[in-house]
Amino acid sequence: MNPKSVSVATPEMVLIRYGELALKGKNRSSFENSLLRNIREATQHIAKIRIERRRGRIAVFADQRVMEIAERLQDIPGIKSVSPAWRCDAEPEAIVALARTIVRDALRSRPADEITSFRVESRRSEKRFPMTSSELDRFVADRVLPEIKNIRIDLKNAKERLGIEVRSERAYIFMRRLPGPGGLPVGTMGRAMCLISGGIDSPVAAYLAMKRGCHVSFVTYHSYPYIGEASKKKVIDLVRRLSRFQAKSRLFVVPFTEIQTTIRDKAPEPYRTVLYRRFMQRLASKLAERDRCKALLTGESLGQVASQTMENMTCIEAAAELPVLRPLVTYDKEDAIKLAHKIGTYDVSVLPEPDCCTVFMPSKPIIFGKVEACEAAEAKLGVDDLVRKALMGTERIIIESNA
Amino acid sequence: MPTIYLDNAATTPLREEVLDAMTPFLGEDWGNPSSVHRRGVAAREAIDRTRAKVARAVGAQPARVIFTSGGTEANNLAMRGLSWRGAQRQGAIWIGPTEHASIRACAVALAEEGFSIEHGQLDPSGSLDLNDCEERLSSETVLVSQMLVSNEFGSIYPVDCLAGLARAKAPEAAVHADAIQALGKLHLSLSQLGVDSLSLSAHKIGGPQGIGALVLARDLPLRPLVFGGGQERGLRSGTENVAAIVGFGRAVELAVEEQGAALESMKVLRKQLVEGLQKIGEIECLEPGDEEMQQPGILSLVVPGAPAEVWLHHLDSRGVVVSVGSACQANKKEISPVLLAAGLTAGQARQVLRVSLSGQTTSDEISTTLGVLGELVKELASL
Repeated sequence: MNPKSVSVATPEMVLIRYGELALKGKNRSSFENSLLRNIREATQHIAKIRIERRRGRIAVFADQRVMEIAERLQDIPGIKSVSPAWRCDAEPEAIVALARTIVRDALRSRPADEITSFRVESRRSEKRFPMTSSELDRFVADRVLPEIKNIRIDLKNAKERLGIEVRSERAYIFMRRLPGPGGLPVGTMGRAMCLISGGIDSPVAAYLAMKRGCHVSFVTYHSYPYIGEASKKKVIDLVRRLSRFQAKSRLFVVPFTEIQTTIRDKAPEPYRTVLYRRFMQRLASKLAERDRCKALLTGESLGQVASQTMENMTCIEAAAELPVLRPLVTYDKEDAIKLAHKIGTYDVSVLPEPDCCTVFMPSKPIIFGKVEACEAAEAKLGVDDLVRKALMGTERIIIESNA
Repeated sequence: MPTIYLDNAATTPLREEVLDAMTPFLGEDWGNPSSVHRRGVAAREAIDRTRAKVARAVGAQPARVIFTSGGTEANNLAMRGLSWRGAQRQGAIWIGPTEHASIRACAVALAEEGFSIEHGQLDPSGSLDLNDCEERLSSETVLVSQMLVSNEFGSIYPVDCLAGLARAKAPEAAVHADAIQALGKLHLSLSQLGVDSLSLSAHKIGGPQGIGALVLARDLPLRPLVFGGGQERGLRSGTENVAAIVGFGRAVELAVEEQGAALESMKVLRKQLVEGLQKIGEIECLEPGDEEMQQPGILSLVVPGAPAEVWLHHLDSRGVVVSVGSACQANKKEISPVLLAAGLTAGQARQVLRVSLSGQTTSDEISTTLGVLGELVKELASL
């Protein structure tokens, strides 16, 4: 059989590794079904794909743009790693022929004098195959390596690893392992409502929740005309970027002006920010209920700003009707920034658009608020009426990734 | 709610006559002007007719009109193309104190490449400080760039005097003038101004976005920014945007034709606006420089209390459209260096709203705007 012409630039399929060790039984199949759905949704605009699922591995096949598919799948929570791969008949000589081309191609661009450590790693799910895995390792290495300069076998710490997976009729061969986010597929842990402001933290919190299997909806508060449409557009852009990690997101835009002017006019100035945030929790809880979310999600981090002391978080949380998830509560700012860079939200977050928290900012905000004081202040505001009106004016936007 | 559009220095609505002139070239009269078949030749002919119209508006030879993707590219072409002297990347470049970002950013890039940059300044009255210019220009100077009309204050700068100074003190220098806010508002003549090049833009005068021109007074060794098929005498390659060019030509024709009437009307409206603001109190008009040296369509205001941007959104929500600082950077929130050059503090600069009129603005619109501003003073001045 003639060796196929293959190029590292044009793999034929993507092998996907996934799954947490602890997952068993019913959890496992729900995990896999969600993952398959998410893979299909993420790749639908790239190419038509065919999915094969077998023994803890998913393989995705497409006639074109396979490398793009592999890179796109690196964003999908639940995926540990992906390998762009090629396939051939499941017989030793065919495997050697294909492996030879793949290794040669993959090592072509390394510096001429560099010595590369290397090993072959076979897995054999087809027991009818005439060799064991270690026999196949040696069989391939013996035939491929002599033709390549500056390469040595290192079974423990090989820099380059040629992977071979032998199935019933076909073998899949690959060199690269591209990391995915890990975690759990979006959707397996239900839905959460993220309060998003346009800053650095809330998008990162949303990503972390997605990575733990939450499908995240978003709510933002808009105080037009004290802040402009560009601030809303910024939040839309952030949600669009985050939608790389989950299919379609819902964003609720709540008109917040009347609530803020009422608080400004009728409540003690130091309590303004805490009261804004209590309204945000209240409104988010109502929207969460309608949107079948089981928790609220915020980017709060302990002590980061005046409203994020334990006392103030207590005041704020007291207005929530659902548990509040705070993935960043113990994060340092630098760690959140690092993640924001990694998930591609940082450069949008730092655009200097004001958010509604900057409207009528108190000159001396309360640091250690008391729930009773909040409640006393709110007794004069007509809370229910304000909440009802804000919910009536809420706009719902469906946002898809442009990835 | 009808919109009162007072942001004409940012862009203007496409005029109906302009759209009519463009439409055939977006439909049946398509063709590549470089093609030698009849379609191509017809497109070429349309461009050449337009070239003559634009040239006439500024007193240039048609062949010296180079169509670009807009004002920014025209300014870039002047800055980068005229500072070029063979392989040598050195010499001094003088730029005016209130230049548009497209000039300032080029200067920063050219400084990195080895040029030294001199910045002009305004005198205490807000006029261009010509004494300072005289000191800074020298035989080392290779390029001088000064806008004709400030896009933020509407001040008209004495480019002719500056060009005279440059000829005397810096005989090697090419003199460029950004005339983007002057087109259709001032009488433009390359020879009267004594400059080597002018940049123009269509969408400030009712033309389409995405088209402008650099017009040269004489044949200068200009190095292109865009290389390729040799269009625009090799100075701006790329298939021409025929419809936009034709629209530009029609807009220029109309702007020049109506210039006198538009100016008269804007003068009256400006007076109405300034007097009305005086009655309201609290809002200050920024009118630096000589009263005579003012393009009446542009007026910057210092508003009290809430930042100018909050005023902008409140005006917008009531149907009045204005801008803050310079529209091109309104997004960046960096303090406009132009406002600082005019002597404002950073705090004051955040309070600046720009109102810009057109020949189509009406007295009723100004009255309504004054009414809205009066209401907003009560609401926002104490924030």
